[in-house]
Amino acid sequence: MKAFAVAVIAAISLGVLAMFALNSSQKLAYQAFATSGARVSEPGTNLVGPRWNGAPRPDEFESEPHGKAEGEASNPKRS
Amino acid sequence: MRRAVTFLKTFLLAAMLVAGPTALAPALAQNPIQADGVNPMGARPTADSVNEEFLFKQSDKIQGRISIPDQKAANLIQPQGREYRNFRESWLPWIGGLVILGMIAALGAFFLFRGRIMMEHSQESGKKILRFNAFERFTHWMTATCFIILSLSGLNYIFGKRLLMPLIGPDAFGALAQWAKYSHIYLAWPFMLGVAFMFVLWIKDNIPNKIDIAWLKAGGGLIGKGHPHAARFNAGQKGVFWMVAGFGAAMSVTGLMMIFPFALTDINGMQLMQVVHSVIGIVFIAGILAHIYIGSLGMEGAYDAMGSGKVDLAWARAHHDLWVEQEQARTASGPQLKGHPAPAE
Amino acid sequence: MARMKFLCDADRCIECNACVTACKNEHEVPWGINRRRVVTLNDGKPGERSVSMACMHCTDAPCAAVCPVNCFYTTADAVVLHSKDICIGCGYCFYACPFGAPQYPRVGNFGSRGKMDKCTYCSGGPEADFSTAEYEKYGSNRLAEGKLPLCAEMCSTKALLAGDGEMIAEIYKQRVIKRGYGSGAWGWKTAYRETVAI
Repeated sequence: MKAFAVAVIAAISLGVLAMFALNSSQKLAYQAFATSGARVSEPGTNLVGPRWNGAPRPDEFESEPHGKAEGEASNPKRS
Repeated sequence: MRRAVTFLKTFLLAAMLVAGPTALAPALAQNPIQADGVNPMGARPTADSVNEEFLFKQSDKIQGRISIPDQKAANLIQPQGREYRNFRESWLPWIGGLVILGMIAALGAFFLFRGRIMMEHSQESGKKILRFNAFERFTHWMTATCFIILSLSGLNYIFGKRLLMPLIGPDAFGALAQWAKYSHIYLAWPFMLGVAFMFVLWIKDNIPNKIDIAWLKAGGGLIGKGHPHAARFNAGQKGVFWMVAGFGAAMSVTGLMMIFPFALTDINGMQLMQVVHSVIGIVFIAGILAHIYIGSLGMEGAYDAMGSGKVDLAWARAHHDLWVEQEQARTASGPQLKGHPAPAE
Repeated sequence: MARMKFLCDADRCIECNACVTACKNEHEVPWGINRRRVVTLNDGKPGERSVSMACMHCTDAPCAAVCPVNCFYTTADAVVLHSKDICIGCGYCFYACPFGAPQYPRVGNFGSRGKMDKCTYCSGGPEADFSTAEYEKYGSNRLAEGKLPLCAEMCSTKALLAGDGEMIAEIYKQRVIKRGYGSGAWGWKTAYRETVAI
């Protein structure tokens, strides 16, 4: 039983170790696909940047996000 | 003399250069298609363009030049995705379902037919002998727990959306699948380490030999009566060992290729890796189900080998007689461990 | 109900990459993610052609079929969209996609490559139209505004056509008849199991 418990703990800790090792070698697309001709800054809160949850940041996009036409869409998605 | 020849050559060349276009001009003017943009070579650069049909005849996918540094993007059309999709959606669920449920049904039938293989008691019952030391048990259980998580999260890629998603809803299933994916990727590493450890630990006892043939002929004590001779591992256990080693290696290689996508292969290679990984994974799961059955429910006394590490001497004598003799000869003092704790001195 | 499609007239495409730039700007797609790209075939040889390619919004889309979490859905306009909340970034859609449309924000390893991103036909995602959440995850929703995808709208040579499949096929057909040649509707056979008959 002790061997089993140690094994489970070892598996989890090795898994966590693997997570850190793999994530440290992880490259963002903007780093991987930039050449010397382009200096790409941190894309920050771009559409599909590192922030994934999609929850709006309180300080950002108070109003319409993109200078959209005012008013209701007459026929959304034309469904 | 030489000078005269050189002069003549130069003169001829000059004459040709002057006369050439003039001589060709009427011929070009007579060509009716020339007005439509035919160049003097006869090609029609606007109309004679490449087309899909022609490119598919040359190669099974259409590739071009791309100005972005992502080489994967240079693939314009790869219809092989369709075959991959056909395998994954039409074949894989059936292969997976039939193989795994078939194995469970076979084990159930075996249990009904043979029942639990009971321990045969002898005068040695109650005494214990160490079968697997702490490190062996640790390695086994590390690999085993990883395997169970890996197989469940792996099956989730195939069956999750069919079985689990209708039950718990898409959002909960999405979160669960995300965690399943993390566990699949990260627990693969202790699993690979465990397989490597087990390979090194047990290979010396798993080289197939003549005893195994006799064991197999006698039905291995599963089907027939009585127990054929066996050393530390019988032919069935050796089969499990080599299955874990072989499939473990195959799963590791294909899995690593998928963890680092496109590092070594192109898109068709990735599709192939996926197919190989899933098919071997399913057979692997079915094989391990049989291993779990015989190591727990199927045979009395077998679980102790991995549970506490110490098995009943009567059991060991019946199932692994040659190994018991070897162990006792090595320690020269009978069973290493007494059934009862030694009285305090 | 319209059946939205893309058609790239390779005989008109001049590989200016304006469609790529327009897409990136409209949706604020970060560097390294290409919802649309231009591939040049037979580069430097006679008969060279460039094709602008993005998600073709296939009929019976392979990406949707292989997705292990069923995050794809098809809108009434036959646009293939996906939910980034459900997506687990496994990358199977990339293996199944004939056009290499799915993109991932991280490339190193499979474990944490992030949510897939692809062309939405400028029609957002499952969130409410024009909501901040939709814009942040999928970009702007031009279709709901009654506009067609920006890549096709601003194509300088009108090589890239977007709109109802039958209408753009008709436009292409007339062009081919008028000029006497055409290299075909690239990818249509693979995406829609049909091509433009001329």
